Amino acid sequence: MDFGNYLALIAPELLISISGLVLLLVAAWVGDSAARPISILAALVLGVACFMVGPALFDGASGPDTNAFAGQFRADGFAAFAKMLIYLSGIACLMIAPAFFERLGAMRAEYPILILFSVLGTGIMVSSGNLITLYIGLELNSLAAYVLASFLRNDGRSAEAGLKYFILGALASGILLYGMSLVYGFTGTTDFTLIRAAMTLELSTGALFGLIFVLAGLAFKIAAVPFHMWTPDVYEGAPTPVTTFFASAPKVAAVALTVRVSLDAFGLQADAWRQIVIFAALASIVLGALGAIGQDNLKRLLAYSSINNVGFILIGLAAGTPQGASAVLVYLAIYVVMTIGSFVAILMLRDADGNYVENIRDIAGLSRAKPLIALILAGMMLSLAGLPPMFGFWGKFVVFQAAVQADLILLAALGIAASVIGAFYYLKVVKVMFFDEPAGVVQGRSETGHWVLLIGTAIIVSPLGYLLTIPLGLLADRAAVSLSLLP
Amino acid sequence: MVDLSQYLPILIFLGIALALSCLFVFLPMGVSRLTGSHNPTAEKLSEYECGFPAFEDPRSQFDVNFYLIAILFIIFDLEAAFLFPWAVSLDLTGWPGWITMMIFLFELIVGFAYAWKKGALEWE
Repeated sequence: MDFGNYLALIAPELLISISGLVLLLVAAWVGDSAARPISILAALVLGVACFMVGPALFDGASGPDTNAFAGQFRADGFAAFAKMLIYLSGIACLMIAPAFFERLGAMRAEYPILILFSVLGTGIMVSSGNLITLYIGLELNSLAAYVLASFLRNDGRSAEAGLKYFILGALASGILLYGMSLVYGFTGTTDFTLIRAAMTLELSTGALFGLIFVLAGLAFKIAAVPFHMWTPDVYEGAPTPVTTFFASAPKVAAVALTVRVSLDAFGLQADAWRQIVIFAALASIVLGALGAIGQDNLKRLLAYSSINNVGFILIGLAAGTPQGASAVLVYLAIYVVMTIGSFVAILMLRDADGNYVENIRDIAGLSRAKPLIALILAGMMLSLAGLPPMFGFWGKFVVFQAAVQADLILLAALGIAASVIGAFYYLKVVKVMFFDEPAGVVQGRSETGHWVLLIGTAIIVSPLGYLLTIPLGLLADRAAVSLSLLP
Repeated sequence: MVDLSQYLPILIFLGIALALSCLFVFLPMGVSRLTGSHNPTAEKLSEYECGFPAFEDPRSQFDVNFYLIAILFIIFDLEAAFLFPWAVSLDLTGWPGWITMMIFLFELIVGFAYAWKKGALEWE
């Protein structure tokens, strides 16, 4: 393999980074008046990047041909699946942002560029084959995300969200780095394949500490209990389009990265990390469900909902099989659609003065003021709860199926029982919208772009989404196999 | 008797979580005892060198220029720190090493041009 082949493998990353730099200069010289054209160009770039990862996704590319730069970067089918989700959610977050920020008079040309760089970082995360590549991708994503969280810099809550995210993100990076240094110290390598080989036999206590610290750092990034506490504050404080982004692209990347690190680098020590993953999964499901009950802010509620959903995703990882990895990917795909749909629906709710409505009591009786939005939001809530006619049920089904086939029947049963707790607050939102006295707060018209996204996600989440189960399952299976789990 | 040693990983994991949450609670309490607010004297509360007043409303807006200059300094200082090992090992890394560093410098120049155009280098 020569450098030409390597560069072909990182072509999507090259495209995004070069266009990010060019658009940065355009933003500096033309100014904020070019914010909309730059957003459209950035979305186009991500669209082209989708086509670039397409072949690897459909072929389920695997093997040594997908390793670039001596195994530091892997452009395999697994990475392609995650990247496709990341790029698509990046496009969605670019579509919803201009209308939101322009109404607040805060649209800046830097927003699409920060999204591009963050997406670039997440793409590197899912493709990493080495602890150093992992860290570079994670930091590239995080540094852009810290700025995005405090994008409404004159708003106290947004500034607070940015600061909290920065401090806790830095702490998480520190924990991760400490774990990585321990792993390097006890195995003598940072390459995933070589770490796997070095951990074939018994695990030394030092390496065990390294493994746990790495998992704790990753748990911070995916917001799994007990490292979830930053999520509600950051999700509530950040501007809604940014929250949509946090709940989709970086979440997909961090989960995919956790799967790759667990199954590849630590794949032969599954007994050591499985109990941690099982604990984090059950604790996330229960705490995400209980924490959401008392919330009166819709964005906080969705933050707890994302903690809850990460728990279900981790059940798929706990299975530790290619089937489990495939279930995680299927769940992620459905989860991203549901999340984007719910946040777009919230974004479309404004009161008479044009302020954004976030409180649950303000959407009382929404079914009479805005019947279509209320219907779709109700569908999203039922889907997040995993009720059968909606597509969200399928994600939970494949995850539990993988757990049962890996002989984790007790875990699956506990997960199913705990998902009932979560159904309570999802149904509460539906009840408030359809059966309570109208609050009459929500008024005004919504942008066409928002409608397109809302209806698009609603169709996928609706029972029509089941038409996708076979192609989605096929692609996810191929992607999971390309992780090369053979010992 | 169940072999409890197999649950060591989860014990360590929960230990990390507990230690971190204790840190969040007790570290600010401990640090605040060391600062001027706990045992104030005129010297502790006075301004240090050319800095800001020690205690004021944290939400007030302040001149961001100090920070811009400091951040830009760090970036270009680190660039220099990268250049020295690169220069002495160029015979080992060869053309790929040279091209990589040129790409890195180009990216920094793009950022520098952005900062310049945005007026980050002008004091007023």
